[in-house]
Formats: sequence, structure tokens, C-alpha cells
Amino acid sequence: MIDEVLLEKIVDIARNQGATYAEARFQEDISESLIMRNGRVLGVNTTVSRGIGVRVLVGGALGFAATNRLDQESLISTVSEAVSRARAISSLMKSSIELDESRVGRASYEVVPKVKLEDYGVEDRIGLGKEIYSAVGGSLRQAKLPVLTFGIDTHIQRKVVVNSDGALVRSAIPRIYVWVNFVESIPEKGTIQRRVDFGASGGIEWLKEWRVVDEVVEEAKNLENVLASGVEPPREEVDVIVGSEIVGLIVHESAGHPMEADRILGREAAQAGESYVKPEMIGRYSVGNKYATVIEDPTVPGGYGFYLYDDEGVPARPRYLYKEGLIYEPLHNRHTAKIFGTSSNGAARAMTYAREPIIRMSNTYFKPGDMSFDELLEDIKLGVYMKSYMEWNIDDIRWNQRYVGLESYLIVNGEITKPVRNPVLEVTTGGFYSRISGVGKVLRFYPGTCGKGEPSQGVPVWYGGPDIKLSKIKVGVAL
Amino acid sequence: MSYEEFTRKIISELKDKFENIAVRVVDRNSMMLKIWNNQPGVLQTWRDIQVSLLLSKQKRVAVLELRASSPDELLAVARRVGDLMPKVEESELPIELPEPGKPAPLEGGYDKKVLEYSSDPKLLVEAMVSSALSAGAERTAGTLELEEVSTTIATSKGFEGTYKKTGVVAHLRSFKDDVSSHWAWGSTAVDVKKLEEVGAKSASFLSLAKSKTSFEPGKYDVILSPLVAGNLLNYVASMSSGMSVLLGMSFLSRRKVGEVVASEVFTLVDAPRDTSLPGLAPFDDEGVETYNKPIINRGKFVSLIHNTATGKVFNAKSTGNAGWINPRPWNLIVEPGISSFDKMVSEMRRGYFILNNWYTRLQNYVEGQFSTVARDLVLEIRDGSIVGYVDRVRIAERFENLLKSVKELSKEVYDITWWEVRIPTRAPYILAENINLTKPSI
Repeated sequence: MIDEVLLEKIVDIARNQGATYAEARFQEDISESLIMRNGRVLGVNTTVSRGIGVRVLVGGALGFAATNRLDQESLISTVSEAVSRARAISSLMKSSIELDESRVGRASYEVVPKVKLEDYGVEDRIGLGKEIYSAVGGSLRQAKLPVLTFGIDTHIQRKVVVNSDGALVRSAIPRIYVWVNFVESIPEKGTIQRRVDFGASGGIEWLKEWRVVDEVVEEAKNLENVLASGVEPPREEVDVIVGSEIVGLIVHESAGHPMEADRILGREAAQAGESYVKPEMIGRYSVGNKYATVIEDPTVPGGYGFYLYDDEGVPARPRYLYKEGLIYEPLHNRHTAKIFGTSSNGAARAMTYAREPIIRMSNTYFKPGDMSFDELLEDIKLGVYMKSYMEWNIDDIRWNQRYVGLESYLIVNGEITKPVRNPVLEVTTGGFYSRISGVGKVLRFYPGTCGKGEPSQGVPVWYGGPDIKLSKIKVGVAL
Repeated sequence: MSYEEFTRKIISELKDKFENIAVRVVDRNSMMLKIWNNQPGVLQTWRDIQVSLLLSKQKRVAVLELRASSPDELLAVARRVGDLMPKVEESELPIELPEPGKPAPLEGGYDKKVLEYSSDPKLLVEAMVSSALSAGAERTAGTLELEEVSTTIATSKGFEGTYKKTGVVAHLRSFKDDVSSHWAWGSTAVDVKKLEEVGAKSASFLSLAKSKTSFEPGKYDVILSPLVAGNLLNYVASMSSGMSVLLGMSFLSRRKVGEVVASEVFTLVDAPRDTSLPGLAPFDDEGVETYNKPIINRGKFVSLIHNTATGKVFNAKSTGNAGWINPRPWNLIVEPGISSFDKMVSEMRRGYFILNNWYTRLQNYVEGQFSTVARDLVLEIRDGSIVGYVDRVRIAERFENLLKSVKELSKEVYDITWWEVRIPTRAPYILAENINLTKPSI
């Protein structure tokens, strides 16, 4: 870690050179990863990233500069460059960038793993990769397993954030991430491909909870059935049970992203896009029915997107993005909060020292209801249950989206029956949140790496939800 | 200490621990100005050194990447990795670095004006934005990126080399009423006229959107802009990596060299030695000389791209595309055709022009089954005329089917690099027939 006095000095230098606001963030990211193919090691990888990112406001223009040269001369030069370049473009500013008066923190926190990352050595990791390959291969009866790729990544992220409004926040967050990608093949049926991900903040204790081997084997067996016996989905409008994995992805894409205030204002217009949500819709417009409540909460314990203070030093808290269908509270940083006349709700995150903090999700989930899975099923005469997916996408205003089911089944008279191959849920955001007719009670989370910004920065997030039921949906089929 | 001296020191210090060592030092001095609502959102500056090591011993392989400034730390981490090596099993793709050659240097690819403009990019930004506003945009957003990059590669086999290049990447999105359009450009040199063209061209499509028409899913002829071509062919080229095939992440895993994978009018070239495109490289990360080569030539699959290790698996030589673990394409060039955008429109009976896309995702890489969503204008064409625009549609296809459906290419080509086209791509307009387009059911 770095001495915060150095960061305070950087902030002072920027202020002395004319910055009305200055922020210095030290960030260190160390990760160890292993990749295996078909039970054999491809390689191990160690990544160390350490440096300082500086943000300044000068003449209403925002400058950001980053360096991993941590000698005094380089740091002073970095600050000066941030200030002088911001000043150089300030004459182009038609309206000045200002920050809100959010309360910022002085705090130190860390996630303490029950079992340290370093206690799971490379031989343990290789052992897990071999066990998965062998167990999956041994579980398949008809299908061949031409490729199974396994990866494990452990990562510790340390930050110190200091700014000219008094923030001083130190944090340390370890994370663990495991992924498996496999292809099954039956010559007369073609192939089916699946990627399974596990991720959380914390330590090696998660491996036990995830039951990685059992989970992957079960998926592989079920997908073999889909490949061998999958039928086309029904052509008519049917009820659809959307599994929690897909629900989680949907809320990330169509509630989380459109409720990022920087998108709503157009700051990401040329990159990740804008939003169907306009400022005047907040608190007034309903995008869904009474079941549609989506919560964004950085403080969920163990969350892959866990944090307690954002990278502007603002305390984190839960936010209701959609509340009973109503567009409720966007994700803000201090800049967007100022424009909206509110306070930041602590959504500014940067993935490395070399990236500016921008508005990001953390842990996003659909609020669970009170129905068991059997209760969701029981009234459905003909329907489709989409449990998992591979292909998905959504347009740049977060309205038109598509999810292609992988492990999916036909529902007949309240019972799960034959497997269904490649059903497509292609809906608008309004269509999805308005057709919800039942919500399960079991909340599950899934990890993801959310991309945004230019240069792009992927941040770890959880997304989740229960299984939910949609009424009268026309299901497509992928070619 | 120069970077050559630095890499020599690293190799010399680690030679007793490892049999194969490659060092890559990338020194980047770059600036990115982000524009929104016609004004700067943020000006970002980076001064970064990234040191990476490829290490192998007794067929065990490790890669180490450091974005930190201390050589001592690098050596300490590398030695720790060395101590770990006996616990790592033999790699399926063991490293045997090649004997050093003498790669021909590249002439060009460096423009000193890039750094000069980095300190004050106002003129360049104004060129982009004002051209768009003059061409009919009400609102613009985009990015101007300027960078100077020095790359040094050294190997324990004795290769040493450094090359410097500059890069300019500009893209602008123009908005008017409820429609938007986008254009992009990537180069190794500053060209104010080209930046004006990015602005003007990004707005020029707006006037073609006269009225909104309805759309029904189905199979249509489509004209793909160079932006769409660039995005989709980035995926195709990445799937031509030997590692992608080994990992089950490529539709080319089902194809042999010489088989037809595209229409005979279609040729895709990996072009590291084109010094006008910012992905240039005279040698790869193993010190192997790069060369321009077709991946697909007149519809036939010519070659995967390889580093030494993946080449060995496929009984091929390195194609000068290392990436230590995963070979990568450098620049892409789609060979032009004889048509033009206007001719494609005038000869189309019923179809769509898709200006831009994003969020390309695959259901199955082996099958090449994907979809991608249009962003910006989608224009409906009937009987040779543009009759209106439709909401964002989606292409849902298989890569091989798309490539085989290519009928015509324009003779004009455009150098595209932007957020959704990371591998610099020189592409024409492409006409493809009978392509599956979808839209939401509710």
C-alpha cells in the first residue's frame, strides 16, 4: 500500500496549480490465474498492476491522468499534465462540470477471507481442473466432450482514495472466480456449448459452497439430454418460466444499465450507449407491473461487486432502481447527482489505477416473491422453462433484448417434460417487466464482468433474482 | 537504462531459473478525449510501462504481467514463479522459442504530430464536432485518442528488437431528433481532413432517415457498413487463432484449410505490415517477423494464425502472430470489390442498410451461431431507393452462412477502429443476401 501523505500531496499540488477539485487514487491489483484444457495445464499467469490515477476539475473541465511510475518526479509530472490538459480544453466547455456536495468518508475496511487465497496452491487448482474434466467426461453417455476449458483466478484489489473534499478511504477486497467452458458433441445432432461461472468476494471457502464439480457435471448431463432429444419450442404464445440465471442477466442489462445516470445524460452515448429512461421519467413512469422491483446493492456480503465506499469516497447503500414497476432511483456519481439536483448514491468505480471512476453496477437483483418453483409451474398448460443461456444482447438504449436458452424444457400441464433446443426470448424492456405473473422465492446470484467506459473497463458484479413467470410470450428459435 | 538493457538484465538474471524467456516492454504515452453533448467529457492521459514475461521450464509455462515500475519487483515475482514451476504440470502447449531471425523493419507508422497534438487536441476535436454540426447533427458524442507506443521484445534465444508507432483513433456519433449515426477512423498519422470526414460522415446519414417504417422479422438482403463489417470480421479473425480452435471457441474448428467458408468474392487479410493502420508490428511477441497473409482468400480458408506453440500442434509454422498463449491478428484488410454503396442501394429490390452494430454474442462458437444488435440508423430499401428507417433490428445468423452470402463489395474502403472494432480494419460496404433479421416479440 501507499502512504496517504503522498496522495494528499498530489491533491495539494493539483489544487495549487488551479484545480477546483482534485482526487488521487492509489490502486493495486494482483491476480493469479490458471488455465487448463481437457485436464491439462496450458499455463499459469500472474498479473501485478499498481499505480496512481488523478482526477482534477480545472475551469469546469475534467482531466484524468494515470501512471505506474511512482517516483516523485513522475507523479508531479502526471498531476501537472492532468491540470494543464484540462485547462487546455476548458475553453471548449459550454457548461462546466461540477460535483455535488455529497458527504464523503474517512474509513478503512477489508474483506477477510475465511480461507486465504494463497492457501489454495497451484497444485490444488490443477487438481480441481482435472477433477472437473474427468467427472464431466465420465458422466456423459451419448455425447463426446471434445473440449473442456477450466480457469481459476484469485485477485486482491487494494485502494486508497483521497480527495480535496476530505475523503480518505482505504480498502482491500479479495475475489475468487472459477469458469468452465465445454463443448458436447453428438455427430448427428451437432454440438452444444456452455460456459459456467462462479465468482464472489472473499476466499477459498466459496469453493465448498459452490460445489463446482457437482454443478458442472449436472449441467453437462442435462445439456447432453438437450442436445440428444431437444425439440423446437412451441410456435404459439405460451407462458415462460425464466430461470434465475437469465433473470439476473435481464435485470443487469435492462434495469441496471438504463438506470446509470451518465447514460441517461448521454455521457456514454458514443460507447455503451444511452438509455430509454429520460430524466423526467424518474419517479413518474412505470416500466413494469407490481412484481417488478430491482435493487442495486454494493453492500451485499460476499457479492462479487462488493464495496462499502465508492471511488469518490461516497458511502455505498442499496438503491431501488425499479420499485413495483416504477422507474425509481438511478445510479449516481457526484457529477450526475449535481445535474439531477440530488446526492450521489455511491456508484463510482474504477477497475484499475489507469481508469477513471465511472458509474457502475455492483450487485443487482430482482426482488424475490413468495412462490415455490412448483407453484410457478402449476397453472401452465403449455409453456417453456429457460434455465440457462449462452447468447444474449441488448440494444444501446437498453430496450430491445434477446436471450437464447440453453438448458430449457417444455412445460405441459404443470410438469417439466421434454428438453427444448435454442428457445429465444426476444422482448422489449417494457414487455418483459409488464408480463411478469409470478415470482419465485429463492434468490440466487451469478457473477459477471461488466464492460463499460472508454477505454473499456470490466468490473466484477453479481446479478441475480428468483425464477419468474411471464405470461403469453411468443418464443422464437435460434437458427 | 534503455529498454534493451533492461530486457537483457532480466533475461540474464533469470536464465538459471528458466529454459525459455521472452520479455515484452510496452511504454505507452497516450491521450483520450471523450466528447458528449458537443463538448469534452473528460481528457484522459496515461504514461504507463507494462512489462510482461513468458517463462518456461521443463515444459511448464507461466506468463507474468507487471504494470508496476520496479525491475526488482519483476525479478522477485519471476523468481517466485520459478520456485512454483515444479508444482505446475507440463503444459499441453510447451514453449520452445524460435531461433532469432532478422525481421525487416517497417518504414512509417510514426507521426511526430501525434504527440504535438496530445498536449492540446482542441483543433482536432473542433474539426470533428464542427463538421458534424455543419452536416446536420444536433448533438454529437465520440472519442479522439492519440498515442505513442514503444514495444521492445527480447528472448533468451537472442532476439532483441524495438519498434515505435503512433496511433490516432477517432469516432463520432451524431444525433438528430430520434435517429443517430456513427463513423470512425483509425490511423498511425494525424490527418485533419480525415477527422473532418469522421464528423461529416457521421452526420451525413441522418438526412437519409426521412420517415419511420414498420419492420417484420425475416430474411432480407442487407448492406453492411464498414463499421458492421469491421465488428463482425474482428470476431471471425479472432476465431482464426489456433488457440481459439483448440479451446472450442471457433467455427473454423470444423473446417480444413482449402475448404470454402465464404463467398468467392470475399478475401480477409491479416496485415501487420500495413503502416497506415495502427495495429502494425514488424515482429511478434516471440520476435518472429510478421507478414501480410490471407486468412480467407476468395472464399477459401487459407490458414489459422499461429504462434510457435499453436503452430506445432497444427503441424504449421508460426505465422508471426504471437501473442504468447493466444495468437492474435494485427490489422485486418477486406479486399475491395467493384461495386459502391450507391450501386448496392440502386440495385436492391427489398432490404436494409445497417450502419452500425454492437453486442455481438455467440450461442455456440463451434457452430458460429451469433446475433448482434443494430445501433444507429437502419434504412429500408425498396426498388432501389431508401424509403425510410426502422427501429433497431438484430442480425441472428451463423458466421459461415453470412460469409457465404456475401455478393458484392464496394471499391471504396474505410479504415475503421473504434470501441466495437478493436482490431483496426480496412473494410468496404458489403452486400449479403438472405440474412436473418429479428426484432422483439413484445
